[in-house]
Amino acid sequence: MSEKIFFNFPVTADSHTLAAYKKRGGYQALETALKTMQPIDVEKEVMASGLRGRGGAGFPTGSKWSFVNKKAPVVYLCCNADEGEPGTFKDRWIFEHSSHQLIEGMILASYALNVRNAFIYIRGEFDLPYRRLMEAMSEVYQAGYLGENILGSGFSCDIRVMQGGGAYVCGEESSLYTSIEGFKGYPRNKPPFPAVQGLYKAPTVVNNVETLANVPWIIANGAKAFSAMGTEKHPGTKLFGVSGHVAKPGLHELPLGYPLKKLIYEDCGGILNGKQLKAVIPGGSSTPILLPKDVETANLDAECLATFRTMLGSGGVIVISEGICMVRLLQVLSRFYAHESCGQCTPCREGSAWMNDIISRIVAGKGSKGDLESLERITKGIMGNTVCALGDAASMPVINFITKFRTEFDYYIEHGRSMNDGRLEI
Amino acid sequence: MIELKIDNQTIETQEGETVLEAALRHGIDIPHFCFHPCLSIAGNCRICLVQVNGRPKLMPACNLPITPGMEIETNSEPVRAARRAVMQFITLNHPVDCGICDKAGECRLQEYQVKYGNEPFNIDPKHHKPKFYDLSGRILYDGERCILCSRCVRFTREISGTFQLGIVERGSHSLVERLDDSTYDDPYSDNITVICPVGALLRRDFLYKSRVWYLEPVRSVCVSCARGCSINVWKRGHHWQLRGPGSEAKNRMIYRITPCDNPDINGPWICNKGFDLGAFMSRPRVLRPTIGGSAASIDEVIEATTRLLSQAKSPAALVSSHASNEELAAFKTALGDKLTVYTRQDLKPEACDIVEDAILIRADKNPNSEGVTALFGHKPYTAAGHDLIIVWGEGVKLASLGAATIIHLASFESPQEKTADIVIPISTFFERTGSFTNFEGKRNCFDKVFEKPELVQHAGELFGRL
Repeated sequence: MSEKIFFNFPVTADSHTLAAYKKRGGYQALETALKTMQPIDVEKEVMASGLRGRGGAGFPTGSKWSFVNKKAPVVYLCCNADEGEPGTFKDRWIFEHSSHQLIEGMILASYALNVRNAFIYIRGEFDLPYRRLMEAMSEVYQAGYLGENILGSGFSCDIRVMQGGGAYVCGEESSLYTSIEGFKGYPRNKPPFPAVQGLYKAPTVVNNVETLANVPWIIANGAKAFSAMGTEKHPGTKLFGVSGHVAKPGLHELPLGYPLKKLIYEDCGGILNGKQLKAVIPGGSSTPILLPKDVETANLDAECLATFRTMLGSGGVIVISEGICMVRLLQVLSRFYAHESCGQCTPCREGSAWMNDIISRIVAGKGSKGDLESLERITKGIMGNTVCALGDAASMPVINFITKFRTEFDYYIEHGRSMNDGRLEI
Repeated sequence: MIELKIDNQTIETQEGETVLEAALRHGIDIPHFCFHPCLSIAGNCRICLVQVNGRPKLMPACNLPITPGMEIETNSEPVRAARRAVMQFITLNHPVDCGICDKAGECRLQEYQVKYGNEPFNIDPKHHKPKFYDLSGRILYDGERCILCSRCVRFTREISGTFQLGIVERGSHSLVERLDDSTYDDPYSDNITVICPVGALLRRDFLYKSRVWYLEPVRSVCVSCARGCSINVWKRGHHWQLRGPGSEAKNRMIYRITPCDNPDINGPWICNKGFDLGAFMSRPRVLRPTIGGSAASIDEVIEATTRLLSQAKSPAALVSSHASNEELAAFKTALGDKLTVYTRQDLKPEACDIVEDAILIRADKNPNSEGVTALFGHKPYTAAGHDLIIVWGEGVKLASLGAATIIHLASFESPQEKTADIVIPISTFFERTGSFTNFEGKRNCFDKVFEKPELVQHAGELFGRL
């Protein structure tokens, strides 16, 4: 087994504390960086490591940092901890067991980006993660790793923690900082991009929790060690949260490029009750679905999944076994997106609700012949025409489910009931 | 300056312009709902999507900065398809109750539906939202017609500064609503009914009064304060005059007042008092000339006035700051050196008025104080033994003028303890053309809205005959 960045310690009752974190080498990367490295060196190291965003889009972190004008009077760093994608539960683990890793990563990133005030926007529903984070914050302030003149280096940094109000859309970077500013979490139109004008109209970097938590390891072990893991274009390890119909659902840290089949059948113990695999959603509910024949060859990295026209997303693997009604599953997803659409721009506001109406009608047995064509037309009207990616996220599962499981949908519409036993049995 | 190519037509753009602004300035039509030149860019209606340099992803023209070498297509197939889709999304739960909608006829949604909407109508049951909801005593909100363009919300945040409106709820349940349970008492509130691109915000005083295509606007000036905002006065169009019993009142009715865009003076806004100008101008009028309280013909009145003027030892006149520049000039030529002229403010702020604010409203509630001062200087009336006083306009307590003979040139009836010796009815500014000079010295012209009633005199012509 290759080296691990997160799962490198046994979880015990006090493994999340500062003392335990320091015992396993915590905050040494910070000390090294503050004493021996210039901010630009930290950025270069991250750039060289090839670290890519772990939140879903997979944008190279080093490039994102390099777009920011560090000489601007104020630069902000936001940690996107609004983990709301159905099927994703990786950031939660980091907060619960290794908050310090994130905090150290944020201080390092702040140092590289010349950030005085950084923000953590944590999902409102997170309770234990929030309490663990706040415990860690008070420990860190007491230990002097945050605040004025950190470790005598002259570098000062503060982290503020903001709790979200329960909106999925606030995980989108621009609505995240709009929410931090105190407004309703509406995404903003780009341009201006956050790197130019973000939080409080200052250059802003928004990074995922896992992305930032990778930084201390990169600084401690070097970019080369990091890029040795994973694939060439998508290096490192990633946390995969496997849920659904597997024998052992849970969180796994695996190098990128890991075979999906191996993850499901070896690490997770195969499909629940020895059933057949029906489909896999590889990276959170908005990513296009994979069929069993794709699972045979798919590897978990952005490039390989792109050949299957899907995405790595946030690493929330949802496994679906045979006997599951895809129409009902799609209804669950479309209801989620209709509920979470912020309502700012027309296509997403009306389209997501309309798709949900049509799918719910089909599920109620009242579907009619042109419904699937309508759905296809609606997805075309939404995709690419919205302010943020939520519109795309809402339409992608719809168009995918319809194309890949057309017979099931046709059957449901024709007979008014499901082809399968119709229950999401777990 | 950067050159921009829109649909193979090269246009020159100004620094900092967006594609939509440049296109509109050159008369190229890109549909837009949420964009308003005086408000911030929201980019939420998505009807202005255009294609940039043939790229597949469409961009909203309202939020698209112009870069060198940019080529915009506003009529390619992807753009048309996106517009069709957006039009269908907007009309998805729209009640299509144009038959009872006051906005019908000047509604952007109707216009664009004809121009750009081409998808078949959705036959699914529509979702309902609050309808005819009282946003304030003056404004009704129709959530079903609302397209959530947020123009009204941005207006209260950026122009009137009251922050009283917001969009509440999420997704397809979104609604425009007052925030913090406050009453929506914004002194500029009615502007949101004008900037609303659809019939979601309706004025109570115009509700079901008339279809807009029966009306025609006449450019005029608001007399509510010294700002002198440009307004449009909407009356029944000349093609649509009613005949028959009782039609006179409708033909002479002011249906509504709307702001007229005048970047020099008021921009596209006016205050609520301006919107209420119709009620102000519909007060009971003085319609008959009287001598000593009894009716007389106009010739008799003029003859009596001329006689009294020539007999008077020390005549004086109180000129009106509601008079137009032309009338004041006529007065000065005809009578200026025959009598002592005093100036005054006809109207003072009333109890519930906003005296002054930083946006439009001025403390001086008269439209032409500046014009009066320019001709006659600033000479407030002091009770000094005049035996004849010509009182021009309203707002003077006749009893306070002592024993002098009073000739009152009045448009509106006002309760007085003492009746004037001679009353001559004069026209209001709606019944003639002219101009006012506002507090900044800017002249603003008004057109004639209605013909004057038969016995009423134009003050300007009257002075020549005295």
